[in-house]
Amino acid sequence: MENHPEPLICGYNVHRQADRKAMLEALGLTSIAELFSPIPQDVRLGRELRLPAPHSEWALGRHLRELAGRNASTRSHLSFLGGGVYEHHIPAVVDSLTSSEELLTAYTPYQPELSQGLLQILFEYQRMLSLLTGLRVVNSSLYDGATAMAEAAWMACAATGRRRVLASSRIWSEWKAVLELYMRGRGVEAAYVAADPVSGRLDLRSLQESFARPAATFILQTPNSLGILEDIPAAAALCRQHEALLNVSCYPMMLALLKPPGELGADIVTCEGQPLGLPLSAGGPSLGVLACTKRLREFMPGRLVGEVRDIHGKPALALIMQQREQQVSREKATSNICSNQAHQAMRAAIYLAALGERGFRELAAQCAAKARYFREKLLTIAGVEPAATGPFFNEFALRLPCPVPVFLERMLERRVFAGLEVDGNLLVAVTEVRARAELDEAADLFAETIGVLKQ
Amino acid sequence: MKQTIFDISRPGVSGAGLRDPDFGELDPSQWFDAASLRTEPIGLPEVSEIELVRHYTALGHRAYGVDDGSYPLGSCTMKYNPKRHEPLAKLDGFAHAHPRQPESTLSGLWELLFHLAEYFAELSGMDCFTLQPAAGAHGELTGLMIVRAWFESRGMKRDVVLIQDSAHGTNPASASMAGYRCKMIRTTPEGWTDLDALEAALDDSVAAVMLTNPSTFGLFEKNTREIAERVHENGSLLFYDGANMNSLMGIVRPGDMGFDVLQLNTHKTFSTPHLSGGAGSGPCGVKAFLEPFLPIPVIRRDARGYFPDEDRPQSIGRMKSFHGHVSVLIRAYCYILTCGPQGLRTASENAVLNANYVQARLSPYLPPVFGSRCMHECLLSTAQLRVSAFDFAKRLIDHGMHPPTLVGAGCVYFPGHLRDAMLIEPTETETRESLDRMIEKFLCVAREALEDPELVRTAPHTREVGKILPPGSHGPPRAHEQKRRAPETWPGEGQHDHPELPQR
Repeated sequence: MENHPEPLICGYNVHRQADRKAMLEALGLTSIAELFSPIPQDVRLGRELRLPAPHSEWALGRHLRELAGRNASTRSHLSFLGGGVYEHHIPAVVDSLTSSEELLTAYTPYQPELSQGLLQILFEYQRMLSLLTGLRVVNSSLYDGATAMAEAAWMACAATGRRRVLASSRIWSEWKAVLELYMRGRGVEAAYVAADPVSGRLDLRSLQESFARPAATFILQTPNSLGILEDIPAAAALCRQHEALLNVSCYPMMLALLKPPGELGADIVTCEGQPLGLPLSAGGPSLGVLACTKRLREFMPGRLVGEVRDIHGKPALALIMQQREQQVSREKATSNICSNQAHQAMRAAIYLAALGERGFRELAAQCAAKARYFREKLLTIAGVEPAATGPFFNEFALRLPCPVPVFLERMLERRVFAGLEVDGNLLVAVTEVRARAELDEAADLFAETIGVLKQ
Repeated sequence: MKQTIFDISRPGVSGAGLRDPDFGELDPSQWFDAASLRTEPIGLPEVSEIELVRHYTALGHRAYGVDDGSYPLGSCTMKYNPKRHEPLAKLDGFAHAHPRQPESTLSGLWELLFHLAEYFAELSGMDCFTLQPAAGAHGELTGLMIVRAWFESRGMKRDVVLIQDSAHGTNPASASMAGYRCKMIRTTPEGWTDLDALEAALDDSVAAVMLTNPSTFGLFEKNTREIAERVHENGSLLFYDGANMNSLMGIVRPGDMGFDVLQLNTHKTFSTPHLSGGAGSGPCGVKAFLEPFLPIPVIRRDARGYFPDEDRPQSIGRMKSFHGHVSVLIRAYCYILTCGPQGLRTASENAVLNANYVQARLSPYLPPVFGSRCMHECLLSTAQLRVSAFDFAKRLIDHGMHPPTLVGAGCVYFPGHLRDAMLIEPTETETRESLDRMIEKFLCVAREALEDPELVRTAPHTREVGKILPPGSHGPPRAHEQKRRAPETWPGEGQHDHPELPQR
């Protein structure tokens, strides 16, 4: 019994009473209380924390399963939700490989001699995202698409010395809120540029007018919040004319088929990286992808992995250009980011490698094909019309002949997340995971529900 | 560098079995105009699944995690990450829930987040929490934006934040991002915040004072109450960097010490895995008077149940999209429930016990920099040895352990005179036997440093790559070393280049 560990009631603690006693003796102490003598009595808690009693592993499991069971999910409902994060299939091999204890329990590779494996996965991630975005430099990594957009806006301010940023009015509303908050902190003015009401695309004349006062950058989201693909070269031309940097935020899946924004004139590209093998997880953790031209590298926030040499001259990988970062430059750092989304970046790399060139392209093509199939079906419903005429990828907006919130409620009763309401329109996202039979069935349900509500 | 995934790519291998027969062969050129389509392959690698598995399994083995052995990286709290949390965070109702689902379909999630926020409040003595921040630094920024909004709501302009010179680098970086000027408060020779320097800097431009307690020296700031009084008398707010909260659970609460706003690091105190550098989570807690400014949404409870409240006119806005790092927060929730109040207190006690044990056993060779009793981590000096702390740390790698934190490496930044200091945080999940083995390794390197300093200076010798000298982060080596270390192998800026894209 004397060897019975005390911590049966104490979580993950490892010391027995006898261990603590022996260790205290080695310190010349007789009680744990003496260890805390530097803490003045008058600030101490002096009572037990009011927290639930310890749970056994099975009680914990029961409790968590009960909580999870009360949530609906894309597994219990048929989902057409998008708006920046999407239900894509995640190959089991991605989960399997990223569950290795080394990748889970290591810390930031500050000690490169011990961390060449981690560094190499991040290095491969940087290269893959560089290929996708068409820009030379990719960091590893930022928190999510929204903070990546905001950090990219500041990069442009730092690089140009200007304190004004322009953004398309058709960026996800939550991301706008994040951008505005970050810019308020930095003392940067953020202004929005209108979209054309017919095509749903950016109104280039508005952009031209907005440049009447100099701006560091213009931020363009594509597909935009109506699902419309934007004209990157046109925006790039105007930005060049006004010596502003073009900042493109895009859905990574479109990069499989469409020209990389870096080739079309974007100076900085950001993505919400969740579609690249990350579970939805009710919104997080996701992944902020940030890519830029080599010229802008010194303004980049976050970790960069690069090639260095060890003292014997042998090539190795390490975190580089740390003088940009807070642990070296403190208040002059490009950002405060420390913990980032390294694990999510690794997932993205492994996901892309698992799909490979052909797999990734096939998957993106299926997203586009299935979205078109479904959209055609929905457009045959009386009173349903496209909300905009511009090109789209796998998410599209419709005008319904009935109030969208009521429609969504009725569809929810049939266990369908039918889409999102955006400015009175219904925004529908379709990915590769939808089978044709599901789309057929859903289209019938859409028609039936709209028919009832229209009466 | 070993072969990359690109090096083993075999065109034509990937994509097998992905096609949906209902849609057949697809031709994107029918949907998009030719000018917008890619004309060349992306260049992604193509490997079979077994090749993929072997490649990344091998890379995983070339890393070092807490499960491999001691990881006394100061200020990072590399404690054991319980396995039981992993499957629970991946339950369908969490992992496959879309953040834009109707709010009524996520009642289990709201309930979990609501209670977790309450637990954090009880642990820290604050009144309310937002769980949105993505990491500790993000929590700092959240707190400072709240401070700023509070002053603005009172029509006051204050543009300075005071920070300890030993603070985590994130503190001044966050203050800059929130639009503040930073002024550093020096440390006394005993390792405390210099009260005279603080007094001299406190004027009506100071919005907040950021304090890490225990400090990054592993010392409990004994004057914390006096500091709180002075800061509040000055009309300023007191910010607590909760990175070192692992030493205080159930013992003392920042809220009771007079702090107005703080951030916690779930990947430190609450055992969520460090995941090779993230994702973490940095919940931000405030006293009641700052509650209206919390970012949206705030999870609340009313007669209908739990729900995310977005109707908050005084809110600072959003720090990130959606609800924070949900799967990380679930693990923290599981940790608190498994440990219970006693288990958490015992964890903090043992963390402090372990650090003091290590400090006491090592002090003959590696004396504590400040000589006092430490909290959950100890700051030891290599000044008595014939090698630098950096060299010492690298030699530990040959002995099969992760080095402690040094200046600029790891999460902390010490004032310049502490170049020869190592910050050692064993954490509570190391047994006495494990600590003894760790101590033996430190002592062994200390002996080597005296007997064969060259062996130590050129370490590590057992890894696939030799010592890597990071310019910028550790500063130039001392003059006599610079000569010996053959400058031609010094990795200068020019070599720090991102790889070129392959030519097409």
